[in-house]
Amino acid sequence: MAGLLLLLAAALSACTNPQTTFSPKSDTAQSIQTLYLLVIVMASIVMVGVFGVLGFALFRFRDRPGRVASQTHGNTKLEIIWTLLPVAILVIIGAPALIAVAGSAKAPDEDALHINVVGHQWWFEVQYPGMGPEDPNNPGERLPLITANEVHLPIGRQIYVTLESVDVIHSFWIPQLIGKTDMIPGTVNELQTFTPQEVGAFYGQCAEFCGTAHAQMRFRAVVESLGDFNEWAEALQTAPADPASELAAAGQTLFLAKGCVACHTIYGMPGAAGKLGPDLTLLGDRRTIGAGIVDNTDENLQQWIRDLQQMKPGTLHMPSFGTLPVENPQHMSDAEIRAVSAFLRGMTLE
Amino acid sequence: MAAYTELLKRPVSPTGVWSWLTTVDHKRIGLLYGVTALTMFFIGGIEAVIMRLQLASSDQTLVSPEVYNQLFTMHGTTMIFMVIMPMGAAFFNYLIPLMIGARDVAFPRLNAFSFWMFLFGTLLMHASFLTMSAPAMGWFAYTPLTSLEFSPTSGVDYWVLGLQVLGIASMAAAFNFVVTIINLRAPGMTLMRMPVFAWMTLIISFLLIFAFPVITIALTLLQFDRWVGTNFYNTAAGADPLLWQHLFWVFGHPEVYILILPAMGIVSDVLPTFTRKPLFGYPAVVFAGVTIAFMGFGVWSHHMFTTGMGAWANGVFSFATMLIALPTGIKVFNWLGTLWGGAIQFNTPLLFSIGFITMFTLGGLSGVMHAIVPVDTQQQDTYFIVAHFHYVLFGGSLFGLMAGIYYWFPKMTGRMLNEGLGKLNFWLMLIGFNMTFFPMHIVGVLGMPRRIYTYGADQGWDNMNMFMTIGSFVIVVSFLVFMVNVIRSLRSGEPAGDNPWGAATLEWSISSPPPHYNFIEIPTITSRYPLWEKDHSVGAAQAHGHDDDSHAVHMPDPSYWPLVLSAGITMLAGGLLIWKWHQILGFTIISVFGLLALYATYRWAFEPVNEPNHEEPHQ
Repeated sequence: MAGLLLLLAAALSACTNPQTTFSPKSDTAQSIQTLYLLVIVMASIVMVGVFGVLGFALFRFRDRPGRVASQTHGNTKLEIIWTLLPVAILVIIGAPALIAVAGSAKAPDEDALHINVVGHQWWFEVQYPGMGPEDPNNPGERLPLITANEVHLPIGRQIYVTLESVDVIHSFWIPQLIGKTDMIPGTVNELQTFTPQEVGAFYGQCAEFCGTAHAQMRFRAVVESLGDFNEWAEALQTAPADPASELAAAGQTLFLAKGCVACHTIYGMPGAAGKLGPDLTLLGDRRTIGAGIVDNTDENLQQWIRDLQQMKPGTLHMPSFGTLPVENPQHMSDAEIRAVSAFLRGMTLE
Repeated sequence: MAAYTELLKRPVSPTGVWSWLTTVDHKRIGLLYGVTALTMFFIGGIEAVIMRLQLASSDQTLVSPEVYNQLFTMHGTTMIFMVIMPMGAAFFNYLIPLMIGARDVAFPRLNAFSFWMFLFGTLLMHASFLTMSAPAMGWFAYTPLTSLEFSPTSGVDYWVLGLQVLGIASMAAAFNFVVTIINLRAPGMTLMRMPVFAWMTLIISFLLIFAFPVITIALTLLQFDRWVGTNFYNTAAGADPLLWQHLFWVFGHPEVYILILPAMGIVSDVLPTFTRKPLFGYPAVVFAGVTIAFMGFGVWSHHMFTTGMGAWANGVFSFATMLIALPTGIKVFNWLGTLWGGAIQFNTPLLFSIGFITMFTLGGLSGVMHAIVPVDTQQQDTYFIVAHFHYVLFGGSLFGLMAGIYYWFPKMTGRMLNEGLGKLNFWLMLIGFNMTFFPMHIVGVLGMPRRIYTYGADQGWDNMNMFMTIGSFVIVVSFLVFMVNVIRSLRSGEPAGDNPWGAATLEWSISSPPPHYNFIEIPTITSRYPLWEKDHSVGAAQAHGHDDDSHAVHMPDPSYWPLVLSAGITMLAGGLLIWKWHQILGFTIISVFGLLALYATYRWAFEPVNEPNHEEPHQ
């Protein structure tokens, strides 16, 4: 029963449940899935066996007039059989499991794409070492390419992810691509390598309880063609074009004036180099805002700037600009919020 | 001895509030444990229902994230430390002396001390609700989230000190029951003739003795970090956050067996009674219990497969975890063997035992799934895990404990619980339980993490969550049926007689409820099932004891000092909490209650078992 229901759940998956673990889209997730199904089948067999014997015994040996219980105390042969039988089952699932564990320790391929993801309360910083602009202090070396809450992955290339945290323990998990590994402060953890096999935006979420807004610490993994990936990486290190509209230009001014730049970086924008909050370069191109919690639309971004503490209670450092007292210099009117939103969403690939 | 009469007269009355506050009778202490645990079950249940309402559909705003985080932290802590553990303690307090043919436990006052420490620890931790700062970091309190930097409110402090106080209660009880079971068995009651429940109590007592010091150390280090700024868990100073996880789970995994073994013991004693045949493979069941306990210390890191321990550690702990399925399987198969060939009577205790076997089997099977490391990377910290441990702790432990309540309630109160209501209770609980917790496997597979107070509609988890919330109300109804049953039966239940089930073990040879001295004459035991022997010599020896030769039995007098000492120790913890807010006041409280505890220890040590010139109280 259990197995059947789980299989049913698998069938329903994918489109209605974007965070499912049962619709693998990478080689590693696929092999986990195979093992998963094997274990479910074996567990179902044991369950049917135990419940079958139990049900039969309950019916067959129910008390009725004249029935006398047999006064058996045990049976050594049976004890041996029902110790060895489970051993056989454990070997069937245990052997491939242990082989898989051994395989997970394999070093990444030489041409694997290295990504370093850093956990913050409550968002993900994503770094591509050596793929960013040239390091002004260290000519010849390239800085990491930096973005947030969205991991871009080229299809068909092996991905090697290292994991860090700057505060508490988080856990990095993209159910359709790879199982989770914890992000532990003071340690660099390695995620098992995987190769994405299908283009799409996949759901990810922090899986280790990390404080107030843990439920809203999410992200997207965007698997795209190599061309799209390169184009995106290039755009991230190109100074943004001047705002296309008057509204957006006003927003850019406000972005500086209201102190947003103290925490947020926008590559190529003078004065915008804050490190406390997520990097906002090319924000208009992201699928979501607020660490994966809502779609990136004008309405949502405006609401976020106006009252993010209501959308994501507990968010550290960032005020709800629209709810600040009017005399507070950081207060933003609805018109100002529309302008900042237009500026941020105006930064896109094209 | 004049001092006693001057200051505080030693209580002698067998009735009234003071008799309960000062009791050293293991049966009364057992009942106190049981009533407290049921009360806490009610509170933990309310917390669970609020969580289910919050999760009933996406983007709900019934409670804030802060409150939700407090709810799941306190729900877990309460159900584990203040419901299932003390419910087991209620049974082993009440039953062990009766089962092994003793008049009380080895250290009756220490036993009272255990209970009061447990009660005060419970109250201390719940006092955090009064200051609106209940702990909110999850019941396993991973560092560095518990550091002052990330948890600046006093919630973690309440939690740490509450657990320390509860730990003292558990340690005292564990030593008491090891000594009792080893030393106070009636003549002829060899270890291998003990009821399985007595065996399981012995085993969990050893588990407590070995496991609790580990959490005590872990908590003490955290205390130092939070009170005096040490760096045991301070990652900024180079500490490894995994230190806490290792210490916690070295305690935490044996704790799981501390929670499940009493239920296994209960079921192993209930099945023979209602199948009218001896337990199949008694030695195998006992040794499987010992093996589970022993192996339970070698599997802790399976809670940490995703922490990046490396392939070797993951492999070894995966292997060890799979092995533990073997002794567990042996128990299940022997229970099936006991049912096989029996004359099965479907009374409520048997129904709950069947519920235990089936639900625990499901929980065990999902447990084996977690042992498979790659699979676990998809299951860890999802609702699949929540489903798994509720199948083990609710479907397992709690169903077993319910079987025990229906089975021994007549012995404890002299009245039967109503069978009709009992069956209704069982079926509602079984259905509600499966409605609530089975779908958690599926939403877990669909990627729903645990400990989230909200989720988006885009995740597609709405319908199943609504279904689970409805299921949780079926459980609530089943619990109400149980309460009605208990209250009705206490008032007007059918009189039970000495042995209403025709059971075979020693506790059924004496009256219901038993006299405070238990056995008028310590019985001599010749087999595992003494009351099923042809001559019933044990019952006969007790039967003629109803006349007044109970004067010949000397039982210890009640005592104030366990209560006073535990109040003193608990207020040391209370003083530490106050110290953070007001140093001088805190220091004063610590000094005063420290001295009180010292004084109580001294008075306890020199208190005679009985007051001279004082007639033995009798009921």
